[in-house]
Amino acid sequence: MDALGNLAGGLATSLEPFNLLMLTVGVVLGLVIGILPGLGGTSGVAILLPVTVFIAGSGNDTAAVALLAGIYWGALFGGVVTSILFNIPGEPWSVALLFDGYPMAKRLGRPGLALTLAFVASLFGAIVAATLFTFFAQPLAELALSFGPAELFAVFLMAFATLVGLESENPLKSIVMLAFGLLLAAVGFDSLTGEPRLNFGQIDLLSGIPFIPVTIGLFGIGEVLASAEESGIGFIEKLSAKLGLKDLRESIRLVVKRFWMLLVNTVIGFWIGVLPGTGATPASFLSYGVARQYSKNKENFGRGEPVGILAPQASANAAGVGSLLPMIALGVPGSPTAAVIMAGLFIWGLQPGPLLFTEHKDFVWGLIGSIYIGHIIAFAICVLATPLLASIMRIPYAIITPFIVLISVIGAYAASNQIKDVFIVLVFGIIGYWLRKMRYPLAPLVVALVLGDQSEEELRKALIGSGGSPLVFFSTPMAGILMTVAIALFLLPVLQFAYRRMTRARARDAADEPAE
Amino acid sequence: MRPYQVATAAVLIVIAAVAMFDTRSGALPDPTGRAPGGLRGGWYPFWSAALMAGAAGAVLVKTLRSGPSTGSLFSGAGGVRHMLLLVVPMTVAIVSMVWLGFYLVAALYMAFFMKVLGKYPWPWVVGASIIVSVGFFVLFEKGFLVPLPKSIFYSDTIPF
Repeated sequence: MDALGNLAGGLATSLEPFNLLMLTVGVVLGLVIGILPGLGGTSGVAILLPVTVFIAGSGNDTAAVALLAGIYWGALFGGVVTSILFNIPGEPWSVALLFDGYPMAKRLGRPGLALTLAFVASLFGAIVAATLFTFFAQPLAELALSFGPAELFAVFLMAFATLVGLESENPLKSIVMLAFGLLLAAVGFDSLTGEPRLNFGQIDLLSGIPFIPVTIGLFGIGEVLASAEESGIGFIEKLSAKLGLKDLRESIRLVVKRFWMLLVNTVIGFWIGVLPGTGATPASFLSYGVARQYSKNKENFGRGEPVGILAPQASANAAGVGSLLPMIALGVPGSPTAAVIMAGLFIWGLQPGPLLFTEHKDFVWGLIGSIYIGHIIAFAICVLATPLLASIMRIPYAIITPFIVLISVIGAYAASNQIKDVFIVLVFGIIGYWLRKMRYPLAPLVVALVLGDQSEEELRKALIGSGGSPLVFFSTPMAGILMTVAIALFLLPVLQFAYRRMTRARARDAADEPAE
Repeated sequence: MRPYQVATAAVLIVIAAVAMFDTRSGALPDPTGRAPGGLRGGWYPFWSAALMAGAAGAVLVKTLRSGPSTGSLFSGAGGVRHMLLLVVPMTVAIVSMVWLGFYLVAALYMAFFMKVLGKYPWPWVVGASIIVSVGFFVLFEKGFLVPLPKSIFYSDTIPF
């Protein structure tokens, strides 16, 4: 009950006019930053860090953190828009929305519903996560620290395993793409020993293959090329004219219908966010995989399945909220953005960690209050803007296509200020187009590219810790359970495949038909 | 479709083989015990590549054993033409960005698309390409202080 009283105080603090103003400014800025590709929430927070010093200097720490956290909440919402409407990830954590969000907007002609689903899922994920945050901050943060490299590697393995089954049509091609992604992720310096690998003497390759331009190429440009070929140039999208409240009602109906699935994914996302150094991106991938694995209509995934939007988005937002928890409770940031916000805390003269809860109670609960209020503001703005946003899909082809290409260029270039990343977009655009044509699934490639380095690092850190013994992955009960689940998930498609073959062969023998 | 499927799988196998060759020194756990944790930098990429080669090989065998292919590579007669109409200008635009910078290319590319593919009247074409280009400039260069590629004409008087 103590927490409820504190929360009421926190909500009151974040509803004070100046704090509310700062929070709203932050959310609006975050939305814009999220929508624009190439500008991340992390850089948005970093850019405004100096400004907050003046706000905090006037004695109002809560307003300062409300501004920064507001940007983060806004960016978690805004990334959705670019992914769904242009098939270009506005933020890394909205990559998973490319898989079903864009198909729903374009192929099913329901951009309004796709956006609304994502927004409702965001709000759902954030509020559930904020509730967990409110009541279990301290114990959860301590539990998270007991997660070592072995446990983290098992979590990554689970993410990969659920994605191998992504393309039920052809698991072999999924494996090819997953391994290709891991390979691309390994290009450049080995992060543990610093030895160069797979760079073939090229200096440009030493820094590795950045995943943002690759993803923009594979999905954004690849799709532009594919749709030009399929539908010809000069066509205008056919869209359902009804937008607005109907979509909202349908989204809420779907959320209620899939409540438990969504809740599980939100908790998964929140937990992954709490784990140090992970954040919203792996959370969204894992949830997409889990949602698909346990769905009755697997074949709809990748073609505009509503759950394919709801699950990763709820998870991403929950992870975004969760990543602030270890920062506040222990002084260990859960994600890059949380790390920048933590830098802010230091600059304002606050020491993150367990003492923060007792010494700066108003600040902590004001921040927790801002999670609720900030997300409600972001949700309201987004839902009101949905009809306007969805109408972007009706812009004629000859105008929107060059615009998408230009946005892709900006997204690739702005992240690193290197023209070579723009060429990567072009090359992977053509590769993506071809792979799509040859029916190779692109999702496993992107996921492996994003998580490849981290998974390798955790694997090797675990082995370093154990002196090279692979038994480390079963050394603690938690690691053992996670590892067993991951391996079982990997074997599942193999067993299903073998079973299908066996039954098919038997049926064939029975019918005595020639081989296919 | 079949020859293309076979070729794609073959190319993927070649990529994996090259990667395996490049990282072969790290393929096995380090017996000397000098590598941290017993694994060298090449271990992860080597076995990723091995997995890729194996799976692509299986795809190849499966394709070869399947029946003769049906369906053509490109959908519709105009398919290839439409695609090339998109790829060629896009490549030209991206390459010319090295000299012309982002903003000039943005205006020209937009104008090309609207005129050639959209057949819009000139005033529309000129107006839209200027608005898009200036809009990007104000938003990124001025608003968010994100510098985009500049042209060779970039100077104190020409800010793009």
